[in-house]
Amino acid sequence: MSYQFDFSPVFDAWESLAMGAWLTIRLAAISMAIGLVVSVLLAFGKLSGIAWLRRAIDAYIELIRNTPLLVQIFFVYFGLPAIGIRLRPDTAAVVALVINAAAYTTEIIRAGIESVHRGQLEAGTALGLTRVQVFRLIVLKPAFRAVYPSITTQFNVLLLSTSIVSAIAANELTHEAEYINSITFRSFEIYIVVAVIYFAMSLGFSAIFAAMQSRLFTWPDAH
Amino acid sequence: MNFTRRLLLLLGLCLAALPAAAQTPESIKARGKIVIGVMIDVPPYGILNAKNEPDGYDVELAKILADRLGVKAELVPVTGPNRIPYLLTGKVDMLVAVLGIIPERAKLVAFSNPYAGFAQFLYGKKELKVAGPADLVGLTIGVPRANTTDIALSKVAPKGATILRFDDDSAVRQALLSGQVDLTGMSQNGLADMEKLGGKDKFDRKFDLFVQVQGIAMRKDQTELLAWTNAQIAELLASGKLNEMNRRWVGVDLPELKMPNF
Repeated sequence: MSYQFDFSPVFDAWESLAMGAWLTIRLAAISMAIGLVVSVLLAFGKLSGIAWLRRAIDAYIELIRNTPLLVQIFFVYFGLPAIGIRLRPDTAAVVALVINAAAYTTEIIRAGIESVHRGQLEAGTALGLTRVQVFRLIVLKPAFRAVYPSITTQFNVLLLSTSIVSAIAANELTHEAEYINSITFRSFEIYIVVAVIYFAMSLGFSAIFAAMQSRLFTWPDAH
Repeated sequence: MNFTRRLLLLLGLCLAALPAAAQTPESIKARGKIVIGVMIDVPPYGILNAKNEPDGYDVELAKILADRLGVKAELVPVTGPNRIPYLLTGKVDMLVAVLGIIPERAKLVAFSNPYAGFAQFLYGKKELKVAGPADLVGLTIGVPRANTTDIALSKVAPKGATILRFDDDSAVRQALLSGQVDLTGMSQNGLADMEKLGGKDKFDRKFDLFVQVQGIAMRKDQTELLAWTNAQIAELLASGKLNEMNRRWVGVDLPELKMPNF
């Protein structure tokens, strides 16, 4: 192989790569947090028994899961200004990522909620728990415990999807990498380094998810 | 392949083929014709007209120069890769061939003072007053990532100006049209596209970022011819002739033509 590797232009630009990675982490974390809340609400909306609400949510899920993320991002960034909603690239990225991720996680959480046996709800009510307590302790916690691995997988996909928002000039990791590439033409070196950074971030998020699992989804103590 | 090395190699090969005595305006007059290399595929500077003859801004200038020498103009169509070799091997006496004045070429040929050029400028929302880089504070400018506009803008943009770097021209223009950026970098060709998209009422031209200038190229030993050519260009610029030609061919006034320093 005659290609001469030269990593120095990549390492010279470590500062912008670090800034990019930091924005990637923030985009991913914020989108995950908002996406999770939105999906729980939508999942309950689907199970509420209100027909028009269920159909509206189904339509949203089908629309989002059957169109490319890039198109959704362009729609939010370039399309929404037509109706007067003008978002900065970072904000538009979060909005698009939330809209996208929520469509997937809603179905995952719905499956989790449905896995809770009706008899348990009745048991909870019979024991004198309030509606909120039933919801929190008997529905939500077991539901999350059941589908937690799927949700973490979905969130890792979300972390990697943030690379696409470089297309609307959000200065995340891939955007910085592309910029360094346009100046130095050291594509191979840059993308090797960027792949390693994404891999490390992904492992980091997985470790955080694992830590959260062992804390949040404990089984009730056997008194 | 390395552009400079390739040209230097070429120069070496060409040295042997050079005419023995340096050409002067007098020797050209004595011969009765001047051979000028022109482009025919770079509108609006060098084209083939309806009669299948070379025409355009550069070609018109080439004919004017021949007239002023009082000799016949023999126009030789050249291409991007072969124009400098044609000059260096003596196949043409000079090139009026849309040749941008850049350091790599200036090592090989003698450039006249600039006779034409096109500006890369900032373009954006009409209501904004932007006369210079200092006015960019608080504004958002979209550029294609790492292209010449980005590089020129990044040098002059003050702190407080936001530069958004997109993948390509179309994303940049979309960002301007949808109001996501206040300004973009633009050239004359792009301007026509934007006006087709309805930009004429909404956007206008702000200040020039840089001007790419073109020069007439001669061999380095043609010093007298170079001096004569520079005198003609100065006069054609002063009389407004070149500006009139630029308005006719390119559709706008000539930008300020400054010989670049390298």
